[in-house]
Amino acid sequence: MGKSKGASPKLPEVGQWPDKIAPAVAIAGIVLTTLGFLMAFFYVPPVAGAAVDGVELIGGMMVANKLLISQKIFYFHMPVAMVSFVALAFSCYYGVRFLMTREWRYDTCSAIAIEIALVFVVATMATGEMWTRFEWGVWWTWEPRLTTYLVLMLIVIAYFVLRSAVDEPERRGVFCSVIAIIATIDVPICFAITRLIPSSIHPVVLREGGMSGEMGMCVALVAAGMFCIGFALYRARFGQVRLAQRVEAMKESLED
Amino acid sequence: MNPILAEIYSTVIPSAPYVIAAYALIWIILLVYVVIIMRGNQKAQKQMMLLEEQLAELKAGK
Repeated sequence: MGKSKGASPKLPEVGQWPDKIAPAVAIAGIVLTTLGFLMAFFYVPPVAGAAVDGVELIGGMMVANKLLISQKIFYFHMPVAMVSFVALAFSCYYGVRFLMTREWRYDTCSAIAIEIALVFVVATMATGEMWTRFEWGVWWTWEPRLTTYLVLMLIVIAYFVLRSAVDEPERRGVFCSVIAIIATIDVPICFAITRLIPSSIHPVVLREGGMSGEMGMCVALVAAGMFCIGFALYRARFGQVRLAQRVEAMKESLED
Repeated sequence: MNPILAEIYSTVIPSAPYVIAAYALIWIILLVYVVIIMRGNQKAQKQMMLLEEQLAELKAGK
């Protein structure tokens, strides 16, 4: 890791206010996601599937459709995808800051944000795959949303391949910042692709009548929890990486 | 069970393994990342302690 061009009070550092609130945010994240999980299974009614030949009274309601329990995956699938998008936006922001200032701290922040993005991209893919396998009967299909999201995941993986392949720090920082920006450009494409290509079979919440109040509340709760967890993970990783960087700097000064 | 109820609940049991797997995978992925951070932290702290000892020895030797 390259050396910083000098101390600046504005640079992200360990011990600043985000680290002070990080433990409380982590606990809030665990509590919110747990509440969201309980709400998804015990409060939000199951979504109706195909119609059946008759009607039955279940829990005080007339039910004439198959109950789609697989839809419960959505309550965590969408929030983790949202966190991956926001983490990529942060990575892009720090990448741009690095390109503007050549300050290594921003490169570090960008790398950690994209690492968090990768964690949540993998979680999104994993949950999506489970739903796809059950509902569509296949592990993978070249559907526009899946394809653009796979491209996004490959760009994020390419970021880390490039990071370990380029030795010269300045070039590595510049290349990685550019990759972070490219990955973030793919975010609105991923989001809008199901609207741009009407033949897309990926479910679109708004196109399919939006969410009920209970569904919206559950998604909002889990999303808030996942954002808290993402933030806490970012700060924990930042602290660890900064410690490792200080160790390297100390080693260099002892060698000198 | 009456046939209508059986049809209404027909997707519940077959989808259960996928729903459980989806939820389990999210937490496994997050936990793996937490473990990576914790191990990295422990390693860096050990190295820092060794370096501080080396530094103290160097200062004492001067």
